[in-house]
Amino acid sequence: MPDIFPFLKSLVSVSGLSGYETPVTELIEARWRPLVDEISLSRLGSVHGIKKGAGAKKRPSILLAAHMDAIGMMVTQIDDGFLRITSIGGLDARVLPSQPVLVHATGSGGPQDLPAVILLPPAKLLPSGEADGIVAISDLLVDVGLLPSKVASLVRIGDLISFGTEAVEISGESLIGHSLDNRASVAAVTLCLQELSSRTHSWDIWAVATVREEIDMSGAGTSTFQLLPDLTIAIDVTFGKGPGANDWRTFALGKGITLGFGPNNHPFLHNRFKEIAEELEIPYATEIMPTSSGTDGMIMQTTAEGVPNIVLGIPLRYMHSPVEMVMLNDIQRVGRLLAEFVIGLDIDFMNTITWDE
Amino acid sequence: MKKLIQKLTDTYSPSGYEEAIRDVILAEIKELAEDIRVDALGNIIAKKGKHGKRVMVAAHMDEIGLIATHIDESGFVYFTSVGGSNPRYLPGGHVRFVNGVLGVIGSERISKANVVQPIDKLFVDVGATSAAECPVQVGDMAAFVHPNVQMGGRLVAKSLDDRIGVAVAIETMRRLKSGPNEVFFVFSVQEELGTRGAIVSAYGIDPEIGIGLDVSHTGDTPNSIRRELALGAGPAIMVKDSRMLYDPKVVAWMEGTAKKAKIPVQREVLVGGSTDARAIQVTRLGVPTGGLAIPCRYIHSPSEMIDYEDVENAVKLLTALLSAPIEL
Repeated sequence: MPDIFPFLKSLVSVSGLSGYETPVTELIEARWRPLVDEISLSRLGSVHGIKKGAGAKKRPSILLAAHMDAIGMMVTQIDDGFLRITSIGGLDARVLPSQPVLVHATGSGGPQDLPAVILLPPAKLLPSGEADGIVAISDLLVDVGLLPSKVASLVRIGDLISFGTEAVEISGESLIGHSLDNRASVAAVTLCLQELSSRTHSWDIWAVATVREEIDMSGAGTSTFQLLPDLTIAIDVTFGKGPGANDWRTFALGKGITLGFGPNNHPFLHNRFKEIAEELEIPYATEIMPTSSGTDGMIMQTTAEGVPNIVLGIPLRYMHSPVEMVMLNDIQRVGRLLAEFVIGLDIDFMNTITWDE
Repeated sequence: MKKLIQKLTDTYSPSGYEEAIRDVILAEIKELAEDIRVDALGNIIAKKGKHGKRVMVAAHMDEIGLIATHIDESGFVYFTSVGGSNPRYLPGGHVRFVNGVLGVIGSERISKANVVQPIDKLFVDVGATSAAECPVQVGDMAAFVHPNVQMGGRLVAKSLDDRIGVAVAIETMRRLKSGPNEVFFVFSVQEELGTRGAIVSAYGIDPEIGIGLDVSHTGDTPNSIRRELALGAGPAIMVKDSRMLYDPKVVAWMEGTAKKAKIPVQREVLVGGSTDARAIQVTRLGVPTGGLAIPCRYIHSPSEMIDYEDVENAVKLLTALLSAPIEL
């Protein structure tokens, strides 16, 4: 497998917050264009790349969805040179104080990125009781280190703030950075496309980088409605094992990927993936999803007349923090498994799907 | 427009029971659109223009209210909320049931002075002396009663959320010449119950661009939550609310149009609440959607307050947006 880390590193070196994905969209489009037959954007901005199958026309199609948006912050108020913020997506408020960030200012100075830091206000300025516990995002401030008058002219309400931590590669095996949820999965889909470029497959394959997953999964929902695939696969990160995180909901980094099991996952697809993984000796764990998978798969499954879906997971530590961590071999495993699954899809696969297992 | 606003806020139509307000709006707009229909859920869809982009403009015509859950033996009406009626605002208030019966809201004995009385300890007193004599039945719905009061340049009334959006839409229909866009003005039902009218009307219309018209909370009252929005500083262009990010291309289009027409506007990041716009955005293949909001104090109380200047500027901006060909 080719080295995917440089591409993934580029993906987590740009912002691309939910609703404002353009910086990362451009990188993905450039990388996918030579690997697919056609590429376009949905009305909400999701990337649609199609790799056409070798089967006769009216081929079935499968949609591989990895969301490309990232969590972050937005300016709600400019208070004497300091910025008040709210979250875009589910930020972990515990890790915010002292983080370096970038304020994507759009005020009188035109669009520009201002380095800044999230500060923890002194206890006496916090609501009673809060100083001893977790400080709510609405009580934190962002300091761009400029005079109040300059801040007021450069920054506007609604300006975006993204994490300013830089990606770090460790021994070519692991990567630490923000937005690895879920750009690690975009990298896995990219590996799948690379594998497909030298192989034949009967089905049409839609590689989709979705928008807005962290808000409402509306990218995945609208793309599924537009492309009306026969099957969908959501590729997303899942909780890695670590100190204090060792129960059945967590999975060791570097020791294999996860195959979703539960109502959001069609059991036939689950078993098919299991067979292929065992054949290829790809280590995997079954991820039990008792109710919601919390992924694009939720909305894709129930779009239009309904679509059989499965969720594949890449274990990741410190989710929704600026120092998310993944391992390269897990990303490669997902890419390879996806490729082998879609290559193995016979033209009449849909007729073989059953519920009786 | 003041007369129109009064007519709209003097009408009682809680979510799901929009017949009265629908009749008022239909009478107002009958000469203002080329095609007017009422869909299966009761949304009014009025079309203006035949060519260009398909734009959906939505203002919800329902209002928050109460619904009777049981009548006790003395004829007191216990209730629960329809939409976001806040128990803090209820005791001492006046209500009017859809069938015309008037009542006042009373409260059971308060056991803890510093705790808001929960809604199931409140009741409506309609002057009945027994259950048999009570003119209200289980399931009857009511809305707040509040006179429409002018205070200088400001207006206080019940249901300005979102009758003020309805007024902006109607006045825009009046001023808008059949232009370069195919505009669908939607007066939606059941917004307060989860934007249910907008979901189906957007699906039916299949628009290319959406605009939600609603109210948004200000931060300009003493020791209020920290927000920048203020009455009288211009209508708000929505950037974010708790459930959606408004489309950046639509935000830019709205801001650019306002700047060119020299209309004052404010940028709004709403923490707590969402609107019909979110339903439009996720419809079918997805619809780039923006929001225009009238700054409003005391939302979901019987005494909501807005500034007339903001309303006038919202009409000007919406008219300017819809009068020219749209390229996002």
